[in-house]
Amino acid sequence: MSDAAVDDTPSLRVDGLGTAVVTITLARPASRNAMGLQFFEAFDEALDAVANASTSAHVVLLRAEGRAFCAGFDLGACAADPRLAARLVERLSELSQRVRSMPAVVVASVQGPALAGGCALVASCDIVIATTSARFGYPVHRIGISPAVSLPILARSIGGGAARTLALGGELIDGARAQAIGLVHELVEPEAALPERTQALVESLAAKGPGALRATKKWLNELDRTTDATTAGAAAHASMGTALTEECHAMIARVWER
Amino acid sequence: MPVERTDADGIVTLTLNRPDARNALSLDLILAFRAALDQVRVDQSARVVIVAGAGKSFCAGMDLRGVMDDPATMGRMLRELAEATVTLRNLPCPTIASVQGAAVGGGCGLAVVCDFAISHADAKLGYPEVDLGVSPAVVAPWLIRKIGAGRARAMLLRGGTISGTEALAMGLVDRLAPQAEVGSAASALAAALMAGGKNALSVTKRWLNELDGSWDSDAVLRGATLSAEVIQTEEAQTRVRARMNG
Repeated sequence: MSDAAVDDTPSLRVDGLGTAVVTITLARPASRNAMGLQFFEAFDEALDAVANASTSAHVVLLRAEGRAFCAGFDLGACAADPRLAARLVERLSELSQRVRSMPAVVVASVQGPALAGGCALVASCDIVIATTSARFGYPVHRIGISPAVSLPILARSIGGGAARTLALGGELIDGARAQAIGLVHELVEPEAALPERTQALVESLAAKGPGALRATKKWLNELDRTTDATTAGAAAHASMGTALTEECHAMIARVWER
Repeated sequence: MPVERTDADGIVTLTLNRPDARNALSLDLILAFRAALDQVRVDQSARVVIVAGAGKSFCAGMDLRGVMDDPATMGRMLRELAEATVTLRNLPCPTIASVQGAAVGGGCGLAVVCDFAISHADAKLGYPEVDLGVSPAVVAPWLIRKIGAGRARAMLLRGGTISGTEALAMGLVDRLAPQAEVGSAASALAAALMAGGKNALSVTKRWLNELDGSWDSDAVLRGATLSAEVIQTEEAQTRVRARMNG
């Protein structure tokens, strides 16, 4: 087994606490912002800080440094600890629900790959702006894990047909296709224009009535039932079951060694 | 008459008729529209219903002038509009929105309740409610059914308006025609729909409504209550008044 290089840089950076717009930046480009336990802990702390800030944020922007938005779970760590993947699935479910339920409008700004857990995180955001060269998908059956954990939000957001092919097929789609199926809401080209266009979107949201935004988001959550805890829990449980199998451990080890 | 009805061989056209106010939805207009829809539902002569707007614009949305200080009337307008959308959706025949100029807020709500919406490339459509501190809660259930929950979420939270071309891409409208020909495109679609069996169309529509929950007025009425609550907040009062005086 290859050694997972220990990356002790902070997973995230939080800017703008106490203002209308808080930016959370995934800040480990060297590991393609992979999700390990520390990632989820840092994210929880960031969202705690947003919730406890003196002035509540109207908009939370989620962005990433580097060429990848988020490559999904840290497979090196999962290969080293057979129980970790299931734990990460549980944390991913909790994070997705938390993002969906927070009062602020959450915007994801995506360049490069947003895969598996990274795609699930993007799908839980309210508005997604992405480059044409971004990549989305759930290539997780090849490591023996079911993407069920992401499906309650995904299927209700983009519809059953598109969610079915994306989750079962495992293929990656580009930004244009993601916009066509409704996973992305604003498409940017070239990639260099992403920061500027994201800034314009976030500023325009910050100028809306914050109370109206909060009330509308809460109502949408009720209408599309994406914050239903029972469904989210059952979906997470289904994915966790697959992550605890011998099949999954063997497949993760094989993929990681390659 | 705030709403005009014309009948032509089974095609009933209901025209919102306040062109000087861009057909903004006043209480009078909403009540007249409801009454016209009830009539269509009862007399059963319609094979297709076209909803249109007189003048340059389809509908500028709720007419808030004169009711900002009158929460009771405001609440009633939203409730009556909600009831009208449920009746419109559950008519037994296909419905077409013929959208020229602008369809904004509640006006865009009427367009998406119809089975088909026809517009033109540079029309202005959308839900700028949150820009004014108002919530589009009352139309949200219909928009979700039309374009899906994810797109509806992004659209309602972003506010603003989009062009007819963008609306076509996201499924908010179903076809585009040159601006001067939107009305005739709606008539042509109505004529094409007349080729279908009345009973078969009615059964298909009822089944689609059953599948997507359109018969359930509860969510729409609760949305109306929520919209009415949000419009009474200081945020909304300040922003709407600034817009009216601006």
